Amino acid sequence: MRTLTTAVRTALFTTITAVGLTASLSAQNASAADLDALREQIRLLDQKLRVLERNSELAAETAAADAKKLPKITATEGRFEIASSDGANSLRLRGLVQGDGRFYFDDANAAQDRFLLRRARLIFEGKFAERFNYVVQPEFAGTTVSILDANISTALIPETLNVRVGRFKTPVGLEQLQSDPVAFFNERSIATNLAPNRDVGVEIFGSVLEKRLGYQVSATNGVIDGGNSNPASDNLEGDFTVAGRLFATPFVNDKDSVLKGLGFGIAAATGNYAGAQLNAYRTDGQQNFFAYRGTTVANGRASVISPQAYFYNGPLGILAEYFSNSAELINAANAREITNTAVNLSVGYVLTGEDSTYRGVTPKTTFNPTAGTWGAFEVVARFAQVDIDDDAFLGGVTSLAAATNATEVTSYGLGLNWYLSKTVRAGFNVFQNDFKLAPGAAPAAGTALADDETVFITRVQVSF
Amino acid sequence: MKLKSLLSALLAVVAVTGATAKDIELLNVSYDPTRELYVEYNAAFSAYWKGKTGDNVTIKQSHGGSGKQARSVIDGLKADVVTLALANDVSAISKNAGLLPANWQERLPLGSAPYTSTIVFLVRKSSPFYGKIKDWNDLTLPGLAVITPNPKTSGGAQWNYLAAWEYGRRKLGSDEKAQEFVKSIYKNVPVLDSGARGSTTTFVQRGIGDVFLSWENEAFLAVKEFGADKFEIVVPSLSILAQPTVAVVDKVAKKKGTEAVAKAYLEYLYSDEAQDIIGKNYYRPTSAAAKAKYAASFPKVELFTIDDAFGGWTKAHKDHFSDGATFDQIYLKK
Repeated sequence: MRTLTTAVRTALFTTITAVGLTASLSAQNASAADLDALREQIRLLDQKLRVLERNSELAAETAAADAKKLPKITATEGRFEIASSDGANSLRLRGLVQGDGRFYFDDANAAQDRFLLRRARLIFEGKFAERFNYVVQPEFAGTTVSILDANISTALIPETLNVRVGRFKTPVGLEQLQSDPVAFFNERSIATNLAPNRDVGVEIFGSVLEKRLGYQVSATNGVIDGGNSNPASDNLEGDFTVAGRLFATPFVNDKDSVLKGLGFGIAAATGNYAGAQLNAYRTDGQQNFFAYRGTTVANGRASVISPQAYFYNGPLGILAEYFSNSAELINAANAREITNTAVNLSVGYVLTGEDSTYRGVTPKTTFNPTAGTWGAFEVVARFAQVDIDDDAFLGGVTSLAAATNATEVTSYGLGLNWYLSKTVRAGFNVFQNDFKLAPGAAPAAGTALADDETVFITRVQVSF
Repeated sequence: MKLKSLLSALLAVVAVTGATAKDIELLNVSYDPTRELYVEYNAAFSAYWKGKTGDNVTIKQSHGGSGKQARSVIDGLKADVVTLALANDVSAISKNAGLLPANWQERLPLGSAPYTSTIVFLVRKSSPFYGKIKDWNDLTLPGLAVITPNPKTSGGAQWNYLAAWEYGRRKLGSDEKAQEFVKSIYKNVPVLDSGARGSTTTFVQRGIGDVFLSWENEAFLAVKEFGADKFEIVVPSLSILAQPTVAVVDKVAKKKGTEAVAKAYLEYLYSDEAQDIIGKNYYRPTSAAAKAKYAASFPKVELFTIDDAFGGWTKAHKDHFSDGATFDQIYLKK
């Protein structure tokens, strides 16, 4: 069309020139009628040119409008998505692969040194009909494929009131609720052993007061602590577990406030778990340090309460939480209510100046030695402790837990995170786990508790 | 916690959080030349609704060729209300998407048409044909360039197509001759925009054509904005009573929880305040008071209705604008 327009312009110019020449060469001979005819010819050519240009314009508008109706495909670092032209329907592909190396420096666990695929997940998420969001997250690491998250959510009142149905994280542990790849350390703290994890049910969540106060309330089948429920399991004892969490970020809208990144809240869950098997608690090196006897089961209600807080300001990040977990348990005729407690205090500082946030660190540069860019570096430190109720060890041969378990574990962690790009991170962590044993306990040589645990965990992960 | 008490607790949360809703947003999907009208009307309605309920209502506008807009709603554009050029376009939304009942025209007064308009000629004064265009038959003059949008996508174009047809039928005596007459007009059409506002751009801003078959309000706006020294409104001896219609898109409004405010938004078009705004924007008001106030603004012209001349929109659309009907016969063979 452009060529055609140019041709018409040329023709018009030629005609005007011819008219001018004709007029000047034979001005005296030209009649008024001849000049009028030539003027009309120019007018008609001008109109034809304008029509061509307008039709070209309309064709371009139509093409642009048609292009808007095509599905949008986004493929950038960290985002792979197909969405309908109006954005109402979409499918986003996300993924997480973590390759670990674990190296133990204590004699008892030296045989556990290994490389392993810690996580290998493909995450499918998106929305339908604008308002129905979904996520399906299978886990491929390990010997079997399992479904971690599978839920659908919708906003009844945008921001304020949302409903989620399916399998999701129980809203209790602050670090547990944080996405795996953005936590300060390669492994969550030992305190998270006391936080319920994924469960099946329904959740209402949202925020009010212009995002200053978030809330979550869930009703689920029930998971006692530190573990995931079976996706197909029935609820325990015909009773649902109810969990709730209130989390305030009072200065979140104050752009210049030093407290903008302050958040604090409290979470709790309670349910009847009678008959449920109980989970073991693990060290930072993922070795069991406490497990109830195989014949010990829940005998009724269990509850957990967790005050929690974080503070992020520039490159500094601090996350703290406390758990008090009480449960009615029984082994044979030995029924007791025990209360275990745990604490986690984690700190991170981004050496290269990027902001530390609950959602992780985004490096300003990507690792590229030839360009002289190295990504971002963050140092992290953590103190954590789990204290097992002494009553768990009372009762002789029918005690809830054998005396060979640790009664208290104190963990110290140091680490360096290297953000090679938005999606690739390497983590180098050292953990020291000091065990306090029951009086008279003498773990067999070579077992996990024979020595305090000192472990070096490396990780390379791709997360998008 | 047992199921009953659990449900009670969850409902309590819903009730507490739900009580905070105060901001409401409506989408009015309209046809091309109503932009200015609804900018003014929306402000008036928002103030009225705020005073009545305390709620803030924001109305978003979407404009385009009427048929094209109806297609967008059918395809999923979330319109709370439609204010389109033709009743047939609203009916198409009912028929093809089931978003509102078939009897939608019975829910508001005057067949759901709170204002009317008609088709006039906007003539360029610099055209060699200036002074020669007085009526529909002058549009067939050889060499004349007539600007009109595409009847396949524009409501205004359908109105003027039918106006020309009826003129031809009355003058020449049959539908066959009327078709030849309309065909000879379309031989003079060099550009088909998808909507009336696009045709205004073509005629007024791009300087194409000698005469523009225009909505009456659009012609007034062009003269007001670009000057009476450039354009003149010519009123033909016969024209059509154009009845743009409005309707709540029930299923969308219900889903968005905006039914009440959407209904009120359209009902308020019949109020004295709205009718005055309608008159100010060169649409013909329907209330007696506003009609009297603006009577002098509108030229006298003999108007016929779609029902009287063509047996209603359903028949008119089938005979003239459906695939293979008279417009396709005329324009595809041009």
